[in-house]
Amino acid sequence: MSEAMRFNAMYFMPYVHLPENHKEFKSTWVNFPNKYYDPAKGHELYQRYLQELVLADRLGFDAIVVNEHHNTVYSMMATPSVIAAAIIPQTQNARICVWGVPPNFMLPNRLAEEYAILDVLSKGRLEVAFPLGTGMEYWSNPVNPATARERFRESLQIILQAWKEDGPTTHYGKFYTYRFLNPWPRPYQRPHPPCYIVGAGSPETIDIAAELGFGYSSVFVPQQRALELNQMLRERAARHGRTVRPDQLPLLTFVYVAETQEQAEKEYIIHLQRFFEDYARSTPQWLAPPGYLSIEQLKIRAAGADKMHGGFDFAAISKSFFIAVGTPEKVANQLGEWAERMGTNHLNNVVHVADMPHWKTVKNMTLYAEEVIPRLRPRAATATKGGTA
Amino acid sequence: MKGKFQREVFKIGAVDTVVYTAGKGDPVVFFHGAGTLDGFDFTEAWVDRFRVIAPYHPGFGESGDDPEFSSLQDYVMHYLELFDALHIDRFHLVGLSMGGQLAAMFAAAHGHRVKKLVLVAPSGIVDPEHPTLDILAIPGEQIPGLLTSDFSVIQKRLPEKPSLDFVADRYRETTTFARLSWEHPRGDPKLMRYLHRLKTPTLILWGDEDKIVPVQQAQRWKELTPGAEVRVFKGAGHLVHLERPEALEAITRFLASA
Repeated sequence: MSEAMRFNAMYFMPYVHLPENHKEFKSTWVNFPNKYYDPAKGHELYQRYLQELVLADRLGFDAIVVNEHHNTVYSMMATPSVIAAAIIPQTQNARICVWGVPPNFMLPNRLAEEYAILDVLSKGRLEVAFPLGTGMEYWSNPVNPATARERFRESLQIILQAWKEDGPTTHYGKFYTYRFLNPWPRPYQRPHPPCYIVGAGSPETIDIAAELGFGYSSVFVPQQRALELNQMLRERAARHGRTVRPDQLPLLTFVYVAETQEQAEKEYIIHLQRFFEDYARSTPQWLAPPGYLSIEQLKIRAAGADKMHGGFDFAAISKSFFIAVGTPEKVANQLGEWAERMGTNHLNNVVHVADMPHWKTVKNMTLYAEEVIPRLRPRAATATKGGTA
Repeated sequence: MKGKFQREVFKIGAVDTVVYTAGKGDPVVFFHGAGTLDGFDFTEAWVDRFRVIAPYHPGFGESGDDPEFSSLQDYVMHYLELFDALHIDRFHLVGLSMGGQLAAMFAAAHGHRVKKLVLVAPSGIVDPEHPTLDILAIPGEQIPGLLTSDFSVIQKRLPEKPSLDFVADRYRETTTFARLSWEHPRGDPKLMRYLHRLKTPTLILWGDEDKIVPVQQAQRWKELTPGAEVRVFKGAGHLVHLERPEALEAITRFLASA
């Protein structure tokens, strides 16, 4: 798997019917009133999004990626395994990536079971990522953020034990006691589905990925930082005697492909702006509940947040994050260059943002699949060699 | 903390515990609350008659951290060891807010060591009708405004523009507090069960405009600790001892009385 270039279609499934007065709210997360959620509109959106995910499989994307968030318009996937279960029977080849459920919000054996069911259902197409969960999730779930990292580590240990060792086994830990850890079913893939950790760059989280031999994907960190984090994972994995494969470093990108540069920008930028300004709108308090960050990380992020003030600037944000917008040739070149620089062959492409309509999503995915992927497949070998040096 | 106070550091377990002391006489120990931006310079009022001992709790102010501390019971154990290190056996104990809850817990378990107990707007009582404010859910920048009735009293102690270090210090103290109380921010049901054990002379003070621990809880303390004297000061907030000179004088008189 580590040789070929790989292309994911990544989704958030936002609830797009924001009320007219939504700008009056400092955040569209945590305490944004759920009276604004209309289940009839939610139903229509699910129908549409599921069609788009299934289309990704037909178009030849290698994987479909879903993820979990709570109390927000940002995502309608509070339990992403349910979404995965809905698309598994409708898809043939794409790997199904639940990236993923924060283990802290589940009993670890239940999560091991849930993922095993999806893996068996899909005949081994499942991949999972373990996020700590954003700060916002700790205001929405009854779990202490001050002990979250410790609990996270113990949860992962239990899940891996449940998957790798023949049961029944026992676990006597700080947060959980299992007298009979013996989940049925077990994963289709042996010993377990490919695992990643997704995070916003806390070294504490990267250490866990290094220690357990998981992949790592940084999300919403600037390009230079993402590069450093990949390097950090390689170094720390080496201390555990592990080598990080390129496919273990999924690169989160925002992509939009159209006939011309001008057309692409005209069709896309407004939705990207709304994604950052409206759908991802949060507060410093929600982002950093007590104890969620180390003091060092709090200072780094507080200093960074000061620089972000001043509203949406497409040119600036395109330089900071991995955002590729334009003709197939330009997007392919851009992605190829980033993959090489980041030492990855695994592109995790956000193909739909905010209130982007169905036709643009289908157009974007189709052009990406038919015009971008063929340009990049031959480059894969070079990218792989370049990155692992 | 400067002035008359001497700074000492005691290694208690894994924690470098910073203690400020001043004066001579009967020891008076002060337990601060779940934050330290209000300071404890007001204890200078007692220095002429007492040996004032003002420690920073682990995870607060100048003391070090111990992430394994998960309840106030860990702090009770910490202070048993610190008092041994300080060679003090019997002493007066004054506690503010969370420090008041801690002082009450200490006295309920080790009453023979506490000569007199003073609780300033103590937290810890579970009162569903007049619940303690869940300050963990309050944005940090709003908390100073909740501490006093007259904002200028606390404003003097705040930086004009909070530096990154100031914000980080508050975050650290809130983190320590979250380890103790994230799951039960409104109090400790077990505390109420043991308050009848407070046999030592006890003074409880409250501001009737307390926005953090409602003054109605003073009545519950009165019911649960029959010997306690309760004094309520009009027009004062949570930090009643800073807002009302007569509240601080009441503490001094109570400690000095025979």
